[in-house]
Amino acid sequence: MKFSQAMMALAAATAMQIAVSEPAQATGKIKCDAGPQTGWVSRDTLEAKLKEKGWTIKKSKVDGGCYEVYGTTPEGDRVEAYFHPVTMEKLLVSRRGQVIFKKD
Amino acid sequence: MVRAILNNLKTFWLILALPAAFMLWTFVRDRDATFDLVHPSGEFSVRLMILAMMISPLIEIFGPRNWLRWLLQRRRSLGVAAFGYAVLHLGFYLVDMGDWEQIWKDALIFSIWTGYIAFVIFAMMASTSNNAAQRAMRRNWKRLQRLVYASAILVAVHWVFVDNEWRGAAIHFIPLLVLEFARLILIFNRRSSLRPE
Repeated sequence: MKFSQAMMALAAATAMQIAVSEPAQATGKIKCDAGPQTGWVSRDTLEAKLKEKGWTIKKSKVDGGCYEVYGTTPEGDRVEAYFHPVTMEKLLVSRRGQVIFKKD
Repeated sequence: MVRAILNNLKTFWLILALPAAFMLWTFVRDRDATFDLVHPSGEFSVRLMILAMMISPLIEIFGPRNWLRWLLQRRRSLGVAAFGYAVLHLGFYLVDMGDWEQIWKDALIFSIWTGYIAFVIFAMMASTSNNAAQRAMRRNWKRLQRLVYASAILVAVHWVFVDNEWRGAAIHFIPLLVLEFARLILIFNRRSSLRPE
């Protein structure tokens, strides 16, 4: 195999990896069935409410139909937390993959 | 001419350093982006480690080939670069945490201390990745480099448990697992064909 072929194989493998790994947006840790997004509270509203309670927030996004928030709790733990996008109810909180809260 | 440049080890280093340059540039421009750099830097480290680890089983399976020799000549670069990205990964993580008490609390969690141990192994391997160390350590050099298998397992565990999700790690590690499995079968077959009936 020539250099160019090796590079092409490498590029193809990388492209494949990216193609396969990108749709992993819904991580399957938790799912929210909250209806159409028009009925959701905005992420800004959720973030503002959490900040009021003493959270600091690094980032938030939609994951599995829920809002996923990365930040620090009022207790000072760096966590990844899931909230219901309509009720803003806390559903799941984990620290570095270790679940510290899960709604029954 | 083009070929000579492409085959130059410095060119290879330049290519390996490109994502790092991009990450550092992002980091310098926007400190808030640090959080988003933690994952990709770790992922690049894993990719380079796996690529370096795939060379041996590939040679075992396909025999000596030009493209494999080409890769073998660059294995040390791949390994050292994997360590480089691990340094970035740890660095971004520490900056993003920004609090020693939190960092210490994190370090006691299984998903995090596995990463630290893998990092220490990487550091030992990278610091002895030069001809002088190779000569001085003799047989122990090979023994030390074999620790990469332990670090690979630790890294896989670190990834799966931090994310609490196995797919991302699986996509990266399955090719290596398949190759190692094929290598084992080959070795086993060779041994059994040598054994007198």
